[in-house]
Amino acid sequence: MGQLVVNGLALGSIYALVALGLLLIFNTVQIVNFAQGQLLMLGAFIGISCAVTHELPVAMAWAITMVAMALVGIVFMVLVYFPLRGRPAFLVILTTIAMGIVLENLALIVWGPLPVSLPSPVRGPPLRFAGVVVSMHQIFIFATLAVILLLQFLFLTKTRFGILMQATAQDLHTARLVGIPVNRTIAVAFAFGAVLSGIAGLLVAPIFLAEPTMGGSLGLKGFVVSVIGGFGNLPGAVIGGLFLGLIETFGARYISSNFRDAYAFIVMIAVLVAWPRGLFGEKSSEKV
Amino acid sequence: MTSEPIIAARGVTRRFGGLVALDNVDLDVPCGIVQAIIGPNGSGKTTLLNALSGASHADAGSIRIGGNEIFRLKPHRIARLGLARTFQTIRIFENLSVIENVKVAAACHTPTSLFNIVTSNARQQQSEAEINSNAREALQIVGLADRANDNAKQLPYAQQRLLEIARALASKPKVLLLDEPAAGMNMTESMTLLATIARLKNSGITILLVEHNVRLVMGISDRVTVLDFGKKIAEGAPSEVQRNPLVIEAYLGRRHRHA
Amino acid sequence: MKSWPILALSAAVALAVPVVARDGYIIQLLNIAILNAIVVLGLNFVTGWAGQINFGQAAFYGLGAYTTAIATKAGLPWIASPFLSVVVVVVASLMLGLPTMRLRTYYLAMTTIGFGEIVRLMIVHWEPVTGGTSGLRAIPGVSIFGFGPQGQMQHYYLLIATLGLAILIASRIRHSVLGRAMIATRNSEIAAEQSGVDTIRTKLLAFMIGAVYAGLAGCLYASSIRFISPDSFSGTQAVLLMTMLIVGGMGSIAGCVVGAVALTILPEALRFLGQWYLVLYGLGVIAVIVVAPGGLASLVSLSQLRRANAG
Repeated sequence: MGQLVVNGLALGSIYALVALGLLLIFNTVQIVNFAQGQLLMLGAFIGISCAVTHELPVAMAWAITMVAMALVGIVFMVLVYFPLRGRPAFLVILTTIAMGIVLENLALIVWGPLPVSLPSPVRGPPLRFAGVVVSMHQIFIFATLAVILLLQFLFLTKTRFGILMQATAQDLHTARLVGIPVNRTIAVAFAFGAVLSGIAGLLVAPIFLAEPTMGGSLGLKGFVVSVIGGFGNLPGAVIGGLFLGLIETFGARYISSNFRDAYAFIVMIAVLVAWPRGLFGEKSSEKV
Repeated sequence: MTSEPIIAARGVTRRFGGLVALDNVDLDVPCGIVQAIIGPNGSGKTTLLNALSGASHADAGSIRIGGNEIFRLKPHRIARLGLARTFQTIRIFENLSVIENVKVAAACHTPTSLFNIVTSNARQQQSEAEINSNAREALQIVGLADRANDNAKQLPYAQQRLLEIARALASKPKVLLLDEPAAGMNMTESMTLLATIARLKNSGITILLVEHNVRLVMGISDRVTVLDFGKKIAEGAPSEVQRNPLVIEAYLGRRHRHA
Repeated sequence: MKSWPILALSAAVALAVPVVARDGYIIQLLNIAILNAIVVLGLNFVTGWAGQINFGQAAFYGLGAYTTAIATKAGLPWIASPFLSVVVVVVASLMLGLPTMRLRTYYLAMTTIGFGEIVRLMIVHWEPVTGGTSGLRAIPGVSIFGFGPQGQMQHYYLLIATLGLAILIASRIRHSVLGRAMIATRNSEIAAEQSGVDTIRTKLLAFMIGAVYAGLAGCLYASSIRFISPDSFSGTQAVLLMTMLIVGGMGSIAGCVVGAVALTILPEALRFLGQWYLVLYGLGVIAVIVVAPGGLASLVSLSQLRRANAG
């Protein structure tokens, strides 16, 4: 049972990272990126291209992937955010979904449909204690999540640019009026959001194999986590992610592993039924 | 028309977080008159209208419309009990034509039967004919009958406001809540509005009016209620209220503080 | 409001097409296009008129198809399948609709996507009944008292007649209390409520009617194409249906048909592009949204407006 907990938490950490990337973008520009999962997939494959195809050291593959994903994030912003500013949310949703389709099929063209594996950046024998086996990779996942959370916290609260980003997130128009370089903060949000998903991809690929259609369900789980944790709420996303990881792992073991993807949705629907505005209140579309 | 007030609200309270928008407000509106609610910005006028119409429920209090307790009822139920309203910011139905806008409200008391609609039987045709004539009547009263088939979006601003009134009328209300109906209107348009409101009053509808335009208010109202910071500070005939020192202070005092 | 000459012309063209285009493959393609048009008409109630984002329409399409396939393969008379499909779809739409009627935008999108996924997972994993990923073959065709359409052309006329009926009903709903209530709900939920519209009931009705359209289309799909698989009702299909609605012009009945036909034929015409088709399709969707979010219908009404003002 303890093993399930460890596995669930590791999986959940990855989900939390996807949610963090999503929320970073949402908090800044109020767009829910339905292609976040495809960004994860892209990160995994760029990493695979570097480490497997070109046989570069894994650490270098990670570095290249993160830079590449940052660029992808900016391209994403140019294609999706700027042309669609001010349009109704429904159209933005459809656009990000379309981007996801574009990315997924480009990946199918470039890398083919077969699943591929990526080695973990850490090696070594797994830890054993109390009847539980914790692999090096799983420890690396926890460590990465912790480091990212710490860096994000420090960046947003202690650095000048981070505080500007928070201001933009709270009120874009006023921020612009006050002279904050809003476009720059938005660019950073998109870039960093893409990088977070890319890292999630690099962490997932060693556990489950990577294939171009993996983005769909992983992206949706990112949403579920955001909903559970409370949209816009970063610590909530982490807790939500871990929670979902546990539910999925236990559900797959005790109920049915065929439906492991469905547990996420069922949980999400259950949460939304009880709290239609989400746990922390989605903005109502009509003010009276 | 009874001697009972058609709107009887007691202890209406509404909080938004730490802000008290309405503080234990009592309101009586006698049948068949025009009553105005005035007060400086942020005094809770629209919040009170929202509580009465069900658009944004009060936290506490009792509200009776025509004898029916409506506290926390859904807006469409309150509408079916005979209350209609217009909005501060125009909310016409952009994707419908002018007359279709009005028909939505005209169907207020018509039950929808999918069977009748799909088969387009005699009952359906008759029902549509009734709705059509009710809608035309309402458009006639506000003077928009000639633009019935235009797209609602195409109407100029002042006419969109009139459309909202026509729509409110189509549900044959006993009480009509008007939220700043003269906003954005010029002198001529306001005078036309005033005449329309007088006509409506004569036809037996009770009108509760929220307005900033003090001249309009004094010209048409039988009774005035004044709110300030969510509390009722005065109530009575327009001439009395105008002279009330509390009211003057509420308005002037604001001006002084901002100066 | 459609004008009679255009209606008569379209009807004439529709009836003449299979006579002119003798190729069985093209006619089958058109049959699929007609079925898609019915599904998109259903989606129009929910998203075009009532303004509810719905990425679950493909799931209802699939539920209708699978119910029919399973029922007829199990030996039930064909005539039972439309009824069964409707029952299944109505129950499913209530299961999805009731908890979600209070949701907005993003949450609604996610929930409907999730619903579609759950249905797909059910179909894929219930192999003994649904044939899993390989789908179901040799589905019995339409048969009422032993009579049924034979060959693509007869199916075409059956489907065209069904589409005509679907359009007629949609038009009647549009010009009724219910249709106006749906559009009012989309434009301003609060004003609609204040005008006496029960917006939650209206949204739910729109949802159900949309699902019924999709379910019946699915029934006919199974009985005419005779082969179904989960791929035809996937999440990507749901997005495709939404695109058809938008390209045609949300809210316009004619737009639904045009959008559906155009975007059913397009992938076939561009088949030579292989995997690149989907890439271009995705980029095309973005382009349409950026340039003409009102779809083709808005371009048409724009030109009508210009003509009216000039004349």
